[in-house]
Amino acid sequence: MIEPRLRGREKPQGAIGLRRDAEKIAGALPPLLAEAEFLAGNVAMGVHGRRRAGHGENFWQYRQAVPGDARSMVDWRRSGKSDLQFIREMEWEAAQTVCFWVDGAQSMDFRSDPAARSKRERAALLALALSVLLIKAGERVALMGSAAAQPRSGRAQLNRLAMELGAEPADERPEYGAPPPDRMPKGARAVFLSDFLGDPEALTPALAQAADRGVQGVFVQVLDESEEVFPFDGRVIFQSMGGGTEFETQRARALREAYVRRLAERRAYLQDLARRLGWRCLFHRTSQSPRAALLWLYMAVGERA
Amino acid sequence: MSIGPVAFLAPWLLLGLAALPILWWLLRAVPPAPARRAFPGVRLLLGLDDPERMPERTPWWLLALRMLALAAAIIAFAGPVLNPRAEGRGGPLLVLLDGGWADAPGWNARMDRVAAALEDASREGRTAAVLSLAAAPPAEGGIPWRAASEWQGRLAGFAPQPWAPDRGAWAAWIAGAQAGDFETLWLGDGIGDGGEGALAEALLARGPVTLARAGRSALALTPPWLEEGALRVRALRAGVAGAVPVGILAIGPDPNGIERVLGSATAEFGAGADSVDVPVAMPIELRNRVMRLQLAEGASAGGVVLADDAVRRRKVGLVSGRAGGEGQDLVDPLHYLRKALEPFAEVVEAPLGEMLNTAPDMLILADVGAIGEAERALLMPWIEAGGLLVRFAGPRLAASGAGQLEPDPLLPVRLRAGGRSVGGAMSWGAPRKLRPFPEGGPFAGLPVPEDVDISAQVVAQPDPDLPERVMASLEDGTPLVTGRAIGDGRLVLFHVTANADWSNLPLSGLFVQMLERLAQSAGGLGPAPEAVEGGIWTPLQVMNGFGELETPSLVSGIEGAALAEDRPSAEMPPGIYGSGERRVALNVMRRDDRLAPMAGLPDALVQEALDRPAERRLGPWLLALALVLLAADVLATLRISGRLGSGGARAVARGAALVLLAAGLAGAAGTAARAQDTSSEAAALYAANRTVLAYVKTGNSRVDAVSEAGLRGLSRALFDRTAVEPAEPVGVDLERDEIALYPFLYWPVTEGQAAPSDAAAARLNDFLRFGGMILFDTRDADLGGSLGGTTPNGRALQRIASRLDVPPLEPVPLDHVLTRTFYLLQDFPGRWDASTVWVEAAPAAEEVEGMPFRNLNDGVTPVVIGGNDWASAWAMQENGQPMYPVGRGIAGERQREMAIRFGVNLIMHVMTGNYKSDQVHVPALLDRLGQ
Repeated sequence: MIEPRLRGREKPQGAIGLRRDAEKIAGALPPLLAEAEFLAGNVAMGVHGRRRAGHGENFWQYRQAVPGDARSMVDWRRSGKSDLQFIREMEWEAAQTVCFWVDGAQSMDFRSDPAARSKRERAALLALALSVLLIKAGERVALMGSAAAQPRSGRAQLNRLAMELGAEPADERPEYGAPPPDRMPKGARAVFLSDFLGDPEALTPALAQAADRGVQGVFVQVLDESEEVFPFDGRVIFQSMGGGTEFETQRARALREAYVRRLAERRAYLQDLARRLGWRCLFHRTSQSPRAALLWLYMAVGERA
Repeated sequence: MSIGPVAFLAPWLLLGLAALPILWWLLRAVPPAPARRAFPGVRLLLGLDDPERMPERTPWWLLALRMLALAAAIIAFAGPVLNPRAEGRGGPLLVLLDGGWADAPGWNARMDRVAAALEDASREGRTAAVLSLAAAPPAEGGIPWRAASEWQGRLAGFAPQPWAPDRGAWAAWIAGAQAGDFETLWLGDGIGDGGEGALAEALLARGPVTLARAGRSALALTPPWLEEGALRVRALRAGVAGAVPVGILAIGPDPNGIERVLGSATAEFGAGADSVDVPVAMPIELRNRVMRLQLAEGASAGGVVLADDAVRRRKVGLVSGRAGGEGQDLVDPLHYLRKALEPFAEVVEAPLGEMLNTAPDMLILADVGAIGEAERALLMPWIEAGGLLVRFAGPRLAASGAGQLEPDPLLPVRLRAGGRSVGGAMSWGAPRKLRPFPEGGPFAGLPVPEDVDISAQVVAQPDPDLPERVMASLEDGTPLVTGRAIGDGRLVLFHVTANADWSNLPLSGLFVQMLERLAQSAGGLGPAPEAVEGGIWTPLQVMNGFGELETPSLVSGIEGAALAEDRPSAEMPPGIYGSGERRVALNVMRRDDRLAPMAGLPDALVQEALDRPAERRLGPWLLALALVLLAADVLATLRISGRLGSGGARAVARGAALVLLAAGLAGAAGTAARAQDTSSEAAALYAANRTVLAYVKTGNSRVDAVSEAGLRGLSRALFDRTAVEPAEPVGVDLERDEIALYPFLYWPVTEGQAAPSDAAAARLNDFLRFGGMILFDTRDADLGGSLGGTTPNGRALQRIASRLDVPPLEPVPLDHVLTRTFYLLQDFPGRWDASTVWVEAAPAAEEVEGMPFRNLNDGVTPVVIGGNDWASAWAMQENGQPMYPVGRGIAGERQREMAIRFGVNLIMHVMTGNYKSDQVHVPALLDRLGQ
């Protein structure tokens, strides 16, 4: 059972409240960022650059000059060592824009007893860790529907992202989330982290816009373990996190198969949607290690960028 | 209010049980509430149908469980008491004890019952009196009423008396005592004497009477007698119900003079029989030593019979016709008799005229010819009273012509003049052999050796009554041994000499067997009335009610006639009486006595069992049951509502159930019964298969723990340092466990320790005698001086050791083998280092190479006694750390090391005996000692 958290307006305001909130924000920030950087550090050890030639500042390779190459591109120092002419290629380091949507709806607050983190915390961690990697690589990141919605690169953007993701959730939130109608840059990448348990139709406007602007991306469905295996029994009234939806069962155990089937259907729908849009799907469980998910995400985002 | 054996202190609380059906209805009507769960996946569930429905009503068995828990709680609070004590009726309480020997077997139970009755009376403020019927009724004054609490202090002064109560006299006294009504609790012994009916009537006239009696009355033994070579004793019981086994022990001094059980027998009272004859089979050498016979269980004065002349070692008088010359032992007629008789009889040699003063059972005249008139006048009455006169022929008898012309009263047959000689140098015939002994004769069944030859004998006249007097004869039918009964006694004549002159019979084993048979048949004089009458007999030893012999005090001499006829009483307690040289045993039961159950009791008498079950409160148990049921209810409820599934809920449920269960058990723990240890066989196997050091359990858990830790430490030290590799030490309960399996016992002496019981003392003595060693540790650093009884532990040690066969002691001499069995030691510290250590005193030293080395016998000293608290010094925790500090600093550790070395030496001494005192080691030891 999730206890509703104390909301900001129930706490003392004024100088004391400001001071406390400031400390809380300042205190909450470093752990999330630190954890994300730690996680990202683990991944960065295994991934190297873009591995392709392009515009950049780092040497990539020498290749033999072929007809059509501009003479100014020849590296004369290298070419002087032999009869052939070589061109010095630099690694492609063009900045890419990656737009994150981290679902902040109430359903993401769910955490079953044995789980260490709520779904929202896990989603935020994955988003921020990926951001760390991307910003290290010089990309630009944006967090849709927040103060960091404008794609930027650099440490400052990372801090903004961390501030947004680590902040206390807002008071008025929908029970199930939908991507915000932010405008995504053309050719950007998108990473949608949600449980996708709400109405699937709510995705449509954002996806339509993404298709229009040539944005490809990744669905990451973050679920709690109990949402996958449905370990309930007895007379239970299930209600959504906000209490808006209720369902009473006489014997929860008997519903398990039907529930698992429906979850599989929902996932199949997501995968189908992704295939049609050229997106990819990751089903992540909060009980799993975030590292594997991050590695997969990093590869997926960098793949065709 | 009471239902059967259960009474309730607050019975109106039971009305609560009426509310149970209402509760049932209520609980049935209310279905369990559903759980509410937040679950984001609820969207996926919308529109699903429930394939199963939960039972809406609580299942009946869960309801029954709750009802049961509630009912148990209600009953528990109503205060049920099992076997409640009856309420007193007010007025004075008279407690009557039979107080005779038959009370002895269950004396403690009786005293407990009396104490309980007095406590109740004291609580109710009643006056009371306790009287023992075995005492004579007081001549003046009435029943001594006093406060019940005052009597409680006097109970210790009561003891069972070794005679039977005189109920008739008490009935008359109570009937005549001053008026006043009282209630009576009579603790009967169950044995009737004819006066119980009158006593009960007299008591009932004054008020209600409760007769408490033990389930089985005491058994008794009548004096033993000899029959068919076996000692027989008759066990008696009052009543004839059921088949009851009975065990008999024959007790007497062993060759070392220590009293031991020499023989035992068991038998069974047949259903319907009130007596059983028990033969106690044992070799004659042992039988002659028997001092008393007693019941194996339920000791009382009636269950002990002192053996008197009837079964004791026979006294045989030897008289020779010829004074044995010096250096002529082998032709002395008495030599062979002496050799043959000494193993099983007491041999007295005196002139014939003085012989009868020693009261022999059997008199042997070897080749005595003429017997004077005066001696005849003495001998004839002696034979008629049961004496056995055995005569051997010889040249003098033949020459005397006695019984040749006319029958001699001191010869069984008439003899021919001259006699005969066969197989001599001048005769034709060969020496004669013996014919097998006639059936029914005194020698029947003895094997006849081939090499016994008779070469000369006196010959009986063939009188008409000769054949019936023949007890043994030769091949040709010539009588060899003849006999004749005279009065209660008998006259036997061997027609050959008692030496090897006429035959080689005295050289054969047959001779010994024949004499043994004759000695057995000598009846002894017994306390026949005429033998006892006359003279004053003084008690030498008297029995108390428990059948133990004590030195008499304040008992005057008894007239012989009274001794022979009267029952034992306060003036004449059973025991051993002496007059001059003669000894007579007076037992509680006479030869033909029987025991009868109590009879003729009026119906108004309330009878109940003596060992009334203790009052027991059932409330705690029922409450514990209710809590356990509630715990089960918690689990069951969670189970059926499906909340037992998830991990967290399960943990919570388990926790709750465990808390309830623990509460229930804690409530019940106060009255929990102690489990009986039944693994004695496993323990025996453990000890027999390994080397195991053992300690004596003192009952003080702290001391026992130290002993165990100490022996564990010593065992480890032995394991590490020596070839002795002991297993984990064990504690032994001397009263129950077999100690013969252990080589070594550590016995910490504690203040409150009881001296071992008879059986335990016997086992301990066996242990000491056959190679075991006990280390007595008073643990008091010998503050009371050497072996002094001034410390409490020292006194306890003296109390214990008085029961044991402890040899003479001496402080460990400098050259004792204990100082060099493994380490070379000079002193033997433990946690303390002050006390003298005592061991068995060794024989005198002898000088070897200028050093005094003792020629010790092979025995290990059976006891080592000291007060250095060795176990504390040896004690080691599980992790190998010492448990107690010893001394201070390095010196203290040195002392601990020395203590361990002493332990190693001690165990080595136990294991290897005096191996190290072997002279082979002397040079090496001297070298090591630097001398």
